[in-house]
Amino acid sequence: MGSSTLYKPLLFGMSSEKQESFLKMSILTTAAILSFATRLFSVLRFESVIHEFDPYFNYRTTQYLAEEGFYKFHNWFDDRAWYPLGRIIGGTIYPGLMITSTVLYNILHFINITLEIRNICVFLAPLFSSFTTIVTFLLTKELKDTRAGLFAAAMIAIVPGYISRSVAGSYDNEAIAIFCMLLTYYAWIKSVKTGSILWSAFTALAYFYMVSSWGGYVFLINLIPMHVFVLMVTGRFSHRIYVAYSTVYCIGTILSMQISFVGFQPVQTSEHMMALGVFGLCQILGGINYMRTKVVGDDFQTLFQFIIYLIGGVVIAVGTLLTVTGKIAPWTGRFYTLLDPSYAKNHIPIIASVSEHQPTSWSSFYFDLHIQVFLFPVGLYFCFSKLTDANIFVILYGVTSIYFAGVMVRLMLVLAPVMCVLSGIGASSMLSTYMTQYLEGSSKVPEKKIKKNETSKSMKSEIAAVFVSMLTFMLISYVFHCTWVTSEAYSSPSIVLSARSHDGSQVIFDDFREAYYWLRMNTAEDARVMSWWDYGYQITAMANRTILVDNNTWNNTHISRVGQAMSSGEDEAYEIMRELDVNYVLVIFGGVVGYSSDDINKFLWMVRIGGSTEKGNHIKEGDYYSPSGEFRVDKEGSKKLKNSLMYKMCYYRFGEVFSEGGKPAGYDRVRNAEIGVKNVTLHVVDEAYTTEHWLVRIYRVKDYDNRGGKMKANKLPIYDQL
Amino acid sequence: MFLLRLFMVAITISATYSIEINPKILINNVECLVDLSTQLVKGECRISLENNDDKPVNSILYAFEPSYKNHIAFVSAHQIYESNRLGLHVKPVALLGHGDKQFYQIDFNATRPLRLKSRTPIVIEYVLTNALYPHPEEITQKDRQLMMFNGNAYFYSPYKTLKSSIKFQTGTRRIEDYTIFNPVSLSSGDVIYGPYGSLESFAYSKVSIHYDNNTPFLKVTKLIRTIELSHWGNVAVTEVVDLAHHGAKLKGSFSRYDYQRETNSGVSSVKSFKMYLPASATSVYYRDVIGNISTSNQRTLLDSVELDIRPRFPLFGGWKTHYTIGYNVPAYEYLYNSGEDYLLKMRLIDHLYDNMIIEDVTVVIILPEGSSDLNLKTPHPSVRLPDGLHYTYLDTIGRPTIKLKMSNVVESHISDFELKYKFPKAFMFHEPLIVIIAIYILFITVIIWVRLDFSIAKDVHSETRQRISGIMSAIMYHIERRANVYNSWDEALNKLKHTKDVNSYNTTVKQIQADYKNESNGINELAAKLKTESVELTDKLNDVQKTEKLLKELYGQTQALYTEKLIAGKVGRNQFVELDSGLKRKKEECQERITQLLKSLN
Repeated sequence: MGSSTLYKPLLFGMSSEKQESFLKMSILTTAAILSFATRLFSVLRFESVIHEFDPYFNYRTTQYLAEEGFYKFHNWFDDRAWYPLGRIIGGTIYPGLMITSTVLYNILHFINITLEIRNICVFLAPLFSSFTTIVTFLLTKELKDTRAGLFAAAMIAIVPGYISRSVAGSYDNEAIAIFCMLLTYYAWIKSVKTGSILWSAFTALAYFYMVSSWGGYVFLINLIPMHVFVLMVTGRFSHRIYVAYSTVYCIGTILSMQISFVGFQPVQTSEHMMALGVFGLCQILGGINYMRTKVVGDDFQTLFQFIIYLIGGVVIAVGTLLTVTGKIAPWTGRFYTLLDPSYAKNHIPIIASVSEHQPTSWSSFYFDLHIQVFLFPVGLYFCFSKLTDANIFVILYGVTSIYFAGVMVRLMLVLAPVMCVLSGIGASSMLSTYMTQYLEGSSKVPEKKIKKNETSKSMKSEIAAVFVSMLTFMLISYVFHCTWVTSEAYSSPSIVLSARSHDGSQVIFDDFREAYYWLRMNTAEDARVMSWWDYGYQITAMANRTILVDNNTWNNTHISRVGQAMSSGEDEAYEIMRELDVNYVLVIFGGVVGYSSDDINKFLWMVRIGGSTEKGNHIKEGDYYSPSGEFRVDKEGSKKLKNSLMYKMCYYRFGEVFSEGGKPAGYDRVRNAEIGVKNVTLHVVDEAYTTEHWLVRIYRVKDYDNRGGKMKANKLPIYDQL
Repeated sequence: MFLLRLFMVAITISATYSIEINPKILINNVECLVDLSTQLVKGECRISLENNDDKPVNSILYAFEPSYKNHIAFVSAHQIYESNRLGLHVKPVALLGHGDKQFYQIDFNATRPLRLKSRTPIVIEYVLTNALYPHPEEITQKDRQLMMFNGNAYFYSPYKTLKSSIKFQTGTRRIEDYTIFNPVSLSSGDVIYGPYGSLESFAYSKVSIHYDNNTPFLKVTKLIRTIELSHWGNVAVTEVVDLAHHGAKLKGSFSRYDYQRETNSGVSSVKSFKMYLPASATSVYYRDVIGNISTSNQRTLLDSVELDIRPRFPLFGGWKTHYTIGYNVPAYEYLYNSGEDYLLKMRLIDHLYDNMIIEDVTVVIILPEGSSDLNLKTPHPSVRLPDGLHYTYLDTIGRPTIKLKMSNVVESHISDFELKYKFPKAFMFHEPLIVIIAIYILFITVIIWVRLDFSIAKDVHSETRQRISGIMSAIMYHIERRANVYNSWDEALNKLKHTKDVNSYNTTVKQIQADYKNESNGINELAAKLKTESVELTDKLNDVQKTEKLLKELYGQTQALYTEKLIAGKVGRNQFVELDSGLKRKKEECQERITQLLKSLN
């Protein structure tokens, strides 16, 4: 009887091995499909459309690449952006993303699957998330075991921190970069474990893919050397590590230099020096180990000291020399920001003005990671309790990325995978401990008599049961949380806004596309449009018009000039606009519908950035505050603000509009204030187009007067009398 | 466009020779009605014709003024015969010496020529495009749109006219100005010239009408209509439209505030228009290069699907837009077949908006893969571009594609084309077969990959492990069978205890013993095999076997207790119960031990 209950017929009559791989495959497949499916909220709710800002640029370049071919793409000088400077696209982007989708596009078209390039771009991020799920499984399996791997895979499939950057339509570098990063880590762990050149070369290739797709590769090229360094310090350095790192560094560096945007940076900039230093250390350590086998006793000690001093001296001398002569570039602003979060705030307003460069709040850790916040330390504990070369790596990865994620919101993305890996390890270790106890306990329950000395054992099983059910509950709540966050917070394309009307039906504000399409259809082909840099990529991609500044904020002075035009009075702004040869000015105004991220709310950044260069010295942030030190648009607001071009363009004729019931005309629903100037007059620009909900307003810059060559005020601006 | 011109010229030249104006034909009376209330000029002339010749007339000519020549989009004629409408064939012709005018030859039905000295009423309808000019050319947002029309006060004809009058309908009471050319009268928006007495041929007197016209002045500058037919029951229609407002251009700024608040602001602009699709149209989409246009409504009517199309922005004079409309219709409504011969009968052009003007149309018809012997009949003259092939999902040899070009098309042109072709039925299985083969190849590859060993070196360890797991699963099978044997033994013993029927028990036990022996032998054989593979497992298995032997002995004892003592009555009830339960406990302990051992075996 006993043996028959034990030996139950298996699933479909498979052996336990087959059963295991069946389970493994089905869980993994489900996770991969889930990770694709959960990212489709935005497509289902809105449409298959590219999201936000940067993805529009990527989409545009991908279109170019698909149509014109690689060489034209590589040599592409874009005269549509940064007028009149232009931008060399081929040399200033990471082309991995575009090449990936174009290759996919060409393969599909080769077998006559005529998908549009737009759809490939939209669905690329979910596709790569599925791949990421599989790679996470492999990585975690290498670190711990299959069970932990499946846990980690299931977790990363729906972790909001990663979904935030990879929903369908957010066609950004990060979409494929996370996959590349984890692939590199997996290959690196493999090569550390095996010490095989094959795996190391594969690591280098994966690293190359990573470099080609995202600037975040710098994290990777510092993490791997750090791992090697820690292994050296802890006395775990071996031939395997030597082979692995030397191969990865040499091939990886050479390959990474093939990306023209990276160029000679890997041997010149400070960010890459750690990798080089560790590479040198590897050689020295390898050499010493070799010599130790050949030279004995005191001779070795003397030689050792001599070599250390010699090399140390040379490195310091050469390093100083190169830094002084400028051969090794100092660290860029974004990296200083990483080390000192307050750096940007004090020095570079343009970096600080981007919301995703802000430090992360505590709540967003929980929001993006949920139970992983608690499981992460558990995973770390299990890693520490059984230290291996591979575990050291994941510990380092976890600790460094949690620091970086704390400094910059957007690096949450780097943290999310390691959180999943460590939480997977933690959860699976605990579950396998307690499940065993529970099963052992429960298998005894049907037995008749429980001897008294077994009581404690049975209690153990009950505790185990409680624990298991608790963890299960937490995991289930994780699933609900993730789905909720994905559907509520991360699935809005931000190009189409939606709101609920009084009767609960959905109202769609499609004003951005309305305005961009108007520009595209009804302005001259070579018209120059001035707007704040946020909208640059969208205007070039959707309106196909030349813009002055865009989201690739490479030229601070140029952006500053636009900021000056926006924050100056009309006449001064007119001078700047003529100097920049502007035809149209586009502003985003949310006062009618209550869209809070509009240009008035960004205005202080324009002032700050405008005032940050020499030409804009006269623009002082303080002038734009009311006497009580607030930023206000109502009567209390400063005169300078009310005279600025931005204010006038946003509120032109708004003084007559009743935006909300029970409020006076000209009531701004974002700032909750009745605007200070209701009869705004404009004499250097004309209203060219305003969208249905006033979200986007486009003005035409008037030409010079026929006589005098200078634009004169038609009438005196009224606030001069104020 | 150019090709089309060539084509027209070719037609007209070929017909030039024999045509001349028959001076014996007279127009007794003519009444023309010209509708100017939309962007089109729609004329309808009722002509009473008389043949004074001494022989029957087979065809007559209709002429357009030189100023109209480039605007003619459509001409049709019908004869009223015994209060029935009889359509007449109309074709453009050119006459020597009259190169500046445009002539149309109207052929009478071959069986009913215009006999000598007889009269017949004829109605001629024509549509002119771009014949109205905005005046002034630029207006501001709050202005009304004024149009200028230059026409002829007389009826223009190659024949003599005895009596004529012409009425211009403007559809508005706001008429700024019109040429006074007596007799002229104005009544509720209609300007009537005439009646005039006898006129020579080609009588012309220019008149102008300047009036309010705020109807939509929309022009499709380019239309690409794609009809993709699938024999799986679907026809997909896609229309790519380049639309422009060709009325008075907007001058100065566009104020959204005024547009939203004031009713008379932007009266000439077009906010939305209606499009009618076939009643069976489904999955309609309306989008442009930057995505779906969310501002449109669809209503299903009895005989059509009405789309309320709103471009992303209101169209003012001079503004343009570009969009794509697509929908599916079921093929059974348009596709007829007999055997392998098929006939596709669909509208060549369909409704885009009321009073539409399409300057340039390309119609692309994509047939299923494998179609051949295409034979196309179009209702109106068009230029056929070279056929091509179209490749899309699951195509191998490409789908035959027909391309047509037409220009200056209006609503009156909407009519069916007929396309005959041959399609072998076997081709229906072409695409499913490709899918089946692809999946088949995939599975075969996976099977080969999994089943065959592609490694260069031999992995002894994993092979041994596989062998052991094979043996172990066989052993487990036998152990399970043996456990069943024990179960049936238990049952037999129980039965014995109650019935005390030793004979039947003995026969059952014989069978049980035989089964038991079978299983044990099986296990022993496998154990011998296992011995060569794994010592550790063999040891464990031996433990199992030993314990099992003990269990067997216990069963023997129970049997002995029952047959020798209980049945023979050598033992008291209490003593028996005690002995029996003792044995039972021992058996259970034994089984427990076996369970534990088996667990460790796994």
